Amino acid sequence: MVAILEKRDLRDFDWLTALLAVAIAAFGVWQIHNALPTESYWSKQIYGIGIAVVAFLVVSFTDYRRLIDSAPVFYVIGLVMLFLVLTPLGVQVNGQKAWLKLPLVGQFQPSEFVKIPTVLMLAKYFGARKPGTLSLKEMIIGGAIFAGPILLIMLEPDAGQAITYFPILAAMFFLSGIRVRYVVLAVVAAAILVPAAWTVGVKTGKIKRYQEERILAIIEPDKVDPRGYGYHTIQSTITVGKGGLSGIKGETETSQSVLKFLPEPHTDFIFAVTAENTGFIGCVSLLLAYALLLSRMIAGAREASDRAGMLVIMSIVCAMVFQIFMNIGMALGVLPVIGVPLPLMSAGLSAILSTFVAIGFVISVKLRRFVN
Amino acid sequence: MKIGDHVQNLGLRVVTIQALAFILLTLLGIRLYYLQIVKGEYYSERAENQRVRLIPIPAPRGAIFDRNGTLLVDSRPTYNVVLSNEPLKSVNVNDRVDDYSRGLKIDRQFVVERLNLIKKQNDFETMVLKENVGIDDISWVESHLLEFPELRVELQPQRFYPLGTSLAHVLGYVGEISPKQLEDPEVKEKGFRPGDIVGKGGLEQYYDEYLRGKPGYRKVLVDSRGRVQSELEVVPPQSGQDLVTTIDYDLQMEAEHQLAISSTKRGVVISMDPNNGELFAMASAPSFDPNVFVNGSSTHEGRKQIAAYWQDEKRPLYNRAIQGRYPPGSTWKIPMSVGALQEGSITVAHSNMLCGGGITIGNKFTRCMGSHGSPTLDYAITKSCDSYYYHLGLKMSIEGIIKMVEEFELDKRTGIDLPNEKISQTPKTWMPYFLKKDGRWADIKTVYASVGQDTVQVTPISMLRAIASVGMRGKQYIPHFLKEFKAIGASGEEGGPNYFPGRASFGFQHAEPRLIELAPNQWDLVLKGMWGVVNGGGTAGSIRMTGWDIAGKTGTAQVASLGKDTGKNKDHAWFDSFAPAYKPEIAVLVLIENSGFGGSNAAPVAKAMYQAYIAKRPGGLAGGQEVAAK
Repeated sequence: MVAILEKRDLRDFDWLTALLAVAIAAFGVWQIHNALPTESYWSKQIYGIGIAVVAFLVVSFTDYRRLIDSAPVFYVIGLVMLFLVLTPLGVQVNGQKAWLKLPLVGQFQPSEFVKIPTVLMLAKYFGARKPGTLSLKEMIIGGAIFAGPILLIMLEPDAGQAITYFPILAAMFFLSGIRVRYVVLAVVAAAILVPAAWTVGVKTGKIKRYQEERILAIIEPDKVDPRGYGYHTIQSTITVGKGGLSGIKGETETSQSVLKFLPEPHTDFIFAVTAENTGFIGCVSLLLAYALLLSRMIAGAREASDRAGMLVIMSIVCAMVFQIFMNIGMALGVLPVIGVPLPLMSAGLSAILSTFVAIGFVISVKLRRFVN
Repeated sequence: MKIGDHVQNLGLRVVTIQALAFILLTLLGIRLYYLQIVKGEYYSERAENQRVRLIPIPAPRGAIFDRNGTLLVDSRPTYNVVLSNEPLKSVNVNDRVDDYSRGLKIDRQFVVERLNLIKKQNDFETMVLKENVGIDDISWVESHLLEFPELRVELQPQRFYPLGTSLAHVLGYVGEISPKQLEDPEVKEKGFRPGDIVGKGGLEQYYDEYLRGKPGYRKVLVDSRGRVQSELEVVPPQSGQDLVTTIDYDLQMEAEHQLAISSTKRGVVISMDPNNGELFAMASAPSFDPNVFVNGSSTHEGRKQIAAYWQDEKRPLYNRAIQGRYPPGSTWKIPMSVGALQEGSITVAHSNMLCGGGITIGNKFTRCMGSHGSPTLDYAITKSCDSYYYHLGLKMSIEGIIKMVEEFELDKRTGIDLPNEKISQTPKTWMPYFLKKDGRWADIKTVYASVGQDTVQVTPISMLRAIASVGMRGKQYIPHFLKEFKAIGASGEEGGPNYFPGRASFGFQHAEPRLIELAPNQWDLVLKGMWGVVNGGGTAGSIRMTGWDIAGKTGTAQVASLGKDTGKNKDHAWFDSFAPAYKPEIAVLVLIENSGFGGSNAAPVAKAMYQAYIAKRPGGLAGGQEVAAK
């Protein structure tokens, strides 16, 4: 791979984006260490980042167009993996079958990776279409491609992960010229249907008690049982607030995560750990780093040499923005608790690997911006 | 590809997405500002509150000693299994009942009660589940740490009564404050909490405030499951004050021994210094083991034993000396004599009264035990002539008897430093009842009341106080056990959170003795009679001791009418006394329930007490001898 690298590749390589991603990931390792200093999650994460960076470089220097051409193959492999999760090969954790244990490869979460084939498959389809407003037929076909992985993930069931897929489809539709009136219609419909669905869901019992409690914990944090389903939200809010302006400055012995008040500190609530340890200054710096990274990615999308490349980058951007907002919003007690990892920060090999691979595509697209 | 060229305004759409992304990130930043900058201190405090916990360190209670420094009650370190509320929050406690009762071998019912109680407490309260555990229970708890994080073993001082059943009524016992007590606003105000150990009965209860120490605490760092991570601060407790009592251990043991070998094994022996009211001994039989109450309430056997104590018809739990009310029989004649002299019903020169072998009231003849002619007062005392007092009582009239009752304060508590003292019942008590019922007070009731029967039911302690005051020629002291509370020094730095001020030493607050006014020759006459009871061929002549003149009065109090007075209805045997007769150092009261004649059943017990006293007396009998007048 390296042998076929040309000088031009190195010159055009987007060092800033790459370094920014690695820097955020490194910052994440520090926070994982802060979260649980006596556990080995942080060292495992370094190892994960190592693998991820290798995968990232491979994808970066591969021509994304060839990968998009092969999208159907990846897509089918992805669907097979998601199917295998549901078979006895899948590993059940907390009532969810989201993990797959394969010989040699080990245990991983296919729903994290399948985002990429889904993106590629959709980009291949929407990238090839003729300019003009999006037709109903195109929307149906796009929806069908999207529905495959989503249905399988819902069967796990992992609604939290499934939700993170939707920005991909939204980005595809929006950037493929969906009529603005449909967008407005969708927003209005959501504004009406979501509360309606909530009411109906609670009444019919379709929304489970814990799901209801988690949402009530956001709306009325003072009224829910602090030891019940509101516990996560309340403890996370306390942890964030405790950080103050500049954090606890290394006093981890009394930290919320070390004393186990904050649940899942190294994964779902890594942002709360960051807030406790580095305070407002650290958190705002992290948000700015995300903003900068996203800007660089969007800039890459603008310069993409073809429509498919642009769609790949923008759908990845949308998925990331959505995940960042969901995760941090949850940590700040304004969004319900859904197990969505914070991109580049949360401990977890599958998540860090798929994020770096996704950014690899962005770099790959950028590298080939001048070709033809 | 130049995306701006497209007809769908692609460039604008990308900008829209970018703008949306920045808006969302900005919203997060605003929320962060609110939580960390605006409310940072609030959340910091909340975090501290949930990770810092105060664990009380119980203070050792003061020990209790006899007058010579013999240890009577102590606290010793014991291991308790305690239950924390916090980890139980999310647990269905019913699941735990079987595990606990099997694992710790405790009564199932008790476990249920404990779990229900702890659930009502605040989050971080703890409660003792099993006291005084051994290595078996400790290792069971340790090995189930993960399964039952709510259990842990704590070292706590526990009250220990080395004497067992001895002195139990005087000492009392300690136990957890009852939910009922906690409802009392006065108790609440003092900061008592469920699970606190307080005195229950006896000196433990009466002097609880001084015996109890001030608990300290450990400020610890805990994790979310309430497990202690590290210690932040320790404030050691201040122990309670040691109590030195007036009890003489040897006399107490002798008293209990005498009761144990008595015919019915039920009765009272009290011994007191008539010169100041200091009690040397107080025994009430049958007795109980206070240790059962301290550590028995959590075990099946212990609860059975406690229930058995309550149900026992011999009533081992009640202190007969201050709670029992008995007809005093002929011992009543001593205050009667004093009253009659004081009121002028008789004089020293003319103290004769007809015996006549009995008296007829209406058509009812009440007989005397003998035929004593027309005896003088001293002779009537010595021989215990009932008929003399029938006539004397009628001459005094019931009002005169009531006046005597008031003079001896037999219508009041003696003021002994023990809780739950009962008041004696006398004609004064019954007068309003019979006036209402019969419209008058019948003469026959006056006759009976003259010899300590019927409407006269006295507590042994009040009777002893009355007799002792005769020995002291009218000086009445308050019987008491407190000799001294030892001082406790201050601890911690002044003004600091760990500062406890010192507690000063103090003794019993002696009020000026109440004085019963009588002329010296009048006292002499009464004392002569009492001296004669033992030394002048009287009813207790059998216990006469050479060189130790006892003055006393026997009593054989009827429980049932003549003819039915056998078995469990046999007469109560009394002997009230002091010695040496004319310069008393010690007073002894003996009451053996349902044993028969006072002279033969109660008086020998008193003799044994005097012998035990003389054995310890500096110089033995020398110097204690008083030549009896005449």
